[in-house]
Amino acid sequence: MQKSIKKIFGRTEFYVFALLVVLSVLIQFRSGGQFYTANNLVDIASALIVPGIFAVGTFMVIVSGGFDVSFPALASLSVYATTKFMLNIEYSGGILLPLLMVMAIGALLGAFNGFFVGYLNLNAMIVTLGASSVFKGIMQGALNSKQLAVIPEGMRSFGTSALFTATNSQSGLTSRMPMAFLVFVAVVILAWFLLNRTYFGRGIYALGGNPASAKAAGFNVKRTKFIMFILVGMISAVAGFIRVCMMQQCHPTNMLGMEMNIIAGVVLGGAAITGGAGTLLGCILGTLLIVMVENSMILLGVPTTWKSVFVGALIIIGTGVSAMQVLRANRSTSRARTMTKEGAK
Amino acid sequence: MKKLIALLLAATMVFSMAACSSGETAKDDTQDTSNTGDTTGTGETTGGEDWEIVVVPKDSSNPWFVRMNVGVEEYAEETGVNCYQKGTDQIDATLQAQLVQDLIAQDVDAICVVPVDIQSLDPILKEARDAGIVVITHEGADLQNVDYDIEAFSNAGYGQFIMDNLAAAMGEEGVYTTMVASLTNGSHNEWADAAVEYQKTAYPNMTLLEAQPRVESNDNGDTAYNVAKELFKTYPDLKGIMGTSSFDAPGVARAIQELGLRDKAFTTGTGMPADNAALLKDGIIKSLTLWDPAEAGKAMVSLALKVLNGEEVAAPLDLGIEGYDAMTFREGSTTVLEGQGWITIDAENVDSFGF
Amino acid sequence: MAQALLKATDIQKSFAGVQALKNVSLEIMPGEIHCLAGENGCGKSTLIKIISGVYQRDGGTLEFDGKTMDKFTPIDAITNGIQVIYQDFSVFPNLTVMENLAFNTELAAKRRIVSKKRMRQIAEEAVAKINFQVDLDALVGTLSVAEKQMVAISRALMFNAKLIIMDEPTTALTKKEVQALFDIILKLKEQGIAILFVSHKLDEVFEISERFTIFRSGELVVTGSTKDLDDKKFTFYMTGREFNDKTFVAENLTEQPILETRNLTLDGHFQDISLKLYGGEILGITGLLDSGRTELALSLFGIRPANGGTILRNGQEVSIKTPQDAMKQKIGLVPEDRLSEGLFLPQSIADNIIIAEIEQLKTPMGIFDRKKRQEEVDHWVKEMALATPDANNASSTLSGGNQQRIVLAKWLACHPEVLILSGPTVGVDIGSKHDIHAILQQLARKTGMGIIIISDDLPEVLENCSRVLILKDGRIVHEASTQEIDEKTIVSYMM
Repeated sequence: MQKSIKKIFGRTEFYVFALLVVLSVLIQFRSGGQFYTANNLVDIASALIVPGIFAVGTFMVIVSGGFDVSFPALASLSVYATTKFMLNIEYSGGILLPLLMVMAIGALLGAFNGFFVGYLNLNAMIVTLGASSVFKGIMQGALNSKQLAVIPEGMRSFGTSALFTATNSQSGLTSRMPMAFLVFVAVVILAWFLLNRTYFGRGIYALGGNPASAKAAGFNVKRTKFIMFILVGMISAVAGFIRVCMMQQCHPTNMLGMEMNIIAGVVLGGAAITGGAGTLLGCILGTLLIVMVENSMILLGVPTTWKSVFVGALIIIGTGVSAMQVLRANRSTSRARTMTKEGAK
Repeated sequence: MKKLIALLLAATMVFSMAACSSGETAKDDTQDTSNTGDTTGTGETTGGEDWEIVVVPKDSSNPWFVRMNVGVEEYAEETGVNCYQKGTDQIDATLQAQLVQDLIAQDVDAICVVPVDIQSLDPILKEARDAGIVVITHEGADLQNVDYDIEAFSNAGYGQFIMDNLAAAMGEEGVYTTMVASLTNGSHNEWADAAVEYQKTAYPNMTLLEAQPRVESNDNGDTAYNVAKELFKTYPDLKGIMGTSSFDAPGVARAIQELGLRDKAFTTGTGMPADNAALLKDGIIKSLTLWDPAEAGKAMVSLALKVLNGEEVAAPLDLGIEGYDAMTFREGSTTVLEGQGWITIDAENVDSFGF
Repeated sequence: MAQALLKATDIQKSFAGVQALKNVSLEIMPGEIHCLAGENGCGKSTLIKIISGVYQRDGGTLEFDGKTMDKFTPIDAITNGIQVIYQDFSVFPNLTVMENLAFNTELAAKRRIVSKKRMRQIAEEAVAKINFQVDLDALVGTLSVAEKQMVAISRALMFNAKLIIMDEPTTALTKKEVQALFDIILKLKEQGIAILFVSHKLDEVFEISERFTIFRSGELVVTGSTKDLDDKKFTFYMTGREFNDKTFVAENLTEQPILETRNLTLDGHFQDISLKLYGGEILGITGLLDSGRTELALSLFGIRPANGGTILRNGQEVSIKTPQDAMKQKIGLVPEDRLSEGLFLPQSIADNIIIAEIEQLKTPMGIFDRKKRQEEVDHWVKEMALATPDANNASSTLSGGNQQRIVLAKWLACHPEVLILSGPTVGVDIGSKHDIHAILQQLARKTGMGIIIISDDLPEVLENCSRVLILKDGRIVHEASTQEIDEKTIVSYMM
């Protein structure tokens, strides 16, 4: 019993969760009770969908010991190409066909990353930096990207359809829980199963822990990386697709630059930058923390002028707390060793 | 294997460099031919010189600047002046600064720029002017190192104009706040300041939300949406949000719709007709304000040409473009020229603009 | 004579025209403990990789268990019963013991879906073979080096191993752990498993192996029964050189101790350490890995300042809170991990030599004096007999022993009066080890420098030091002249 409590305290997830609770109480207090209202919670959940799905993909790459900075560009290109194509053929059907198309393009672009990282064994960070430029270039050059103010009806209705609507009984404000939240849940469940219950997923962890040993143990390292990047491409494309559906317009570049906060969230949730360590739960909690911070500055009463300072500071505090906790854990084990030594005397 | 990769990389680089340079030569060729054609045709406008005038927008995918490009291209076609628009693929102060530096290095004759960030661009514009390049800006009244800055209208005038629209929607009473792309954006903040000043006397029953008098949308519809949602949650009395950038009002409108505040909360701001037709017809936005970026683009090029040709620039200045035919200097300024180019778009006229 | 389990004959292998192995042969009997020794770069690792299918040989024949092995992969080697335990153990520090043990079996069975139940069963079976007590759910990264090694051995045994190759398995182990490992090796032998034990530690070769093979520069030097081997022969086979090692006898000791500590304490690591070091002597400090010996060195050099007691230099009390303080007192430290702490490997040899004395290489104007730098560099390259064509080459181009010499040169360039060496010859090959010992003895005798060697290599301590202090649980438990004590007695004090 004691051991399991200690285990919980020793985990980054616990500290991120604690930080979430503290922050939410602070917001609740500062905003006159606006945080824990049905509509606000739905708003936070809704704002989590897109960064959350991106984070799942990013998490997989970080666990494998790599870094992906291309996913916003990948998602932008996939969804832009899909939307433009659907508009051109005046597609009027449901969500399925565009979703399949965006995933196919995402998979193809992911395979581009995966080929260089997996089969040519190049550094993932460098490859994805380059890929990011290439994807942007294709969008700009080949597709001559402009904002698409109107999106196909099927996508629009998916983006605006609600699972349920939460109403704040006091203010009467309502918030829709988008249908897309189910997609987020599905992506998380699938990723969890993949990472924890299949040898492909354990291979991603093994790869992040010790690539040479992974090969020796019988993992097909190259293929694992290749397939992983394809999956990450598909996941990212889905995230971009949902964002466009929810915004009801397709802007080719306004997802660019999201990568920093997403990566910060994943790392904050305990994924080791060196690879191999971290849990999907931590990844989601870390992303939730970032989303909450970004979407609660006005509720907190922070003036716009100070917003970025606050967001930055919270990221540093968040990662700092988990780093400190790791340090402390190390120190306490070394102290424990000295103590047992003295006890033995 | 490594060697193969290196070879591939080298080949790609050579290929892409060749592609770039061939692209440029091609462009130069067309320009040359068009110029030779021009000198005979419109010799009196260009004064026999082959001026190269470049318009740098905030970015090149935003429909606003796509529309500006239409104006610049039209102008080139009509007058034969060698002018064209060149933008970065996303809104980014650093990228824009780099682009301007590249143009300085290319030794163009005039740069017409719509600045993303005033502080960071100003020193670079100084470099341009030191290099003998004519600098004309738009929506950058606070820039120091310019020949002239063109505003479609006086910022105060436009701010008041937006406020009139917002007040009309809100029934001239209630709490409101202002939204700008960023707190460092020159014009947006001037509009908002003027609007707030004007409201105090013109609409005494309206009050500014003191706790959050100005919020940012980062020129991003999603941010505008999320910020608006937060504002309405935190301040239940809030009845109106005055937008400035073209992303503001549509984003806020989405929030109003979702929160169930239709006919209880209102927004207005700058917006493109085609993008907002649905929202205007739906009635969630009553009216938007606008000036035609195509005309502004033309005006910049026209003014640059005047300066290059050594013509006198004095008020009232006629650039030969509608709304820019009686421009006056801003009070106390010798560089900022203001026109009267504003328009209102609503459900009725939204389909009549053709862009 | 029984049929050999492994018979490698006239194996050849070259890399980019350089011959790494020149017609070497190796024969291992079933259930035999065979030791393969040789200095770094002698071709040991290349041969292991050929036997385990990582490299393809260029020539020669290889027979294992009666079968001729041609063009085979590491997987083939494993299915045939050849297992290699590399120095890094090839474990996943971020995963549990259970997963580390079960992955190979599960992947070999081409499983796709994880079953914890099946994995636990596999893991339990694996640890049972060597009676290894461990929490299967613990992360391997939290285990000690010895435990990680046990994980690797357990894993190796799961594939009906007939030959287990251990690549320098004792490098990071404490004495106790080495004993435990040897017990397991003997147990494996009982089960008929042959062990190829790669090591260059003489005492280990004598203790564990029945037969030995020694390589030098890609050639087989000798193979035979360990019984016929002695210290001197071993060194000669390894290096091809004869060394006349003399036990160090201190001459010209200073009257006053040049360094003295009184009740020096660092909480949790060592207590009440009072020692005296005279100029011209070499003092040995030994003890187990966790005896506080490493921390004592760090405290004397100000990296982990002591929090109790006093340090005296030439009878004067001094305060040493930072390495700068120590250098000002002319105290130098050659750290234990020569790779990560001692050298800037990508930097040039020359820069590494002068880094510690960079302050002295200024002109009066405060400008870096290039001429003086070159003089210093030339002086030390010569003095230390560094084997390099150009002192401007990166330090990483040097062999381990030569790297150690640079670290020495670096500290000698500061002209220290007290030099502390922590594990000076760990991981250094035997020839360089002798060279370093000779340099140290000469320094003490000729310059009157006081030297402290902190080491658990007892022959090293006995041969080079005039006195030895034995640390246990952070306290000095015994002090003796090396003339009057032997290894056995020291060990009994240490344990």
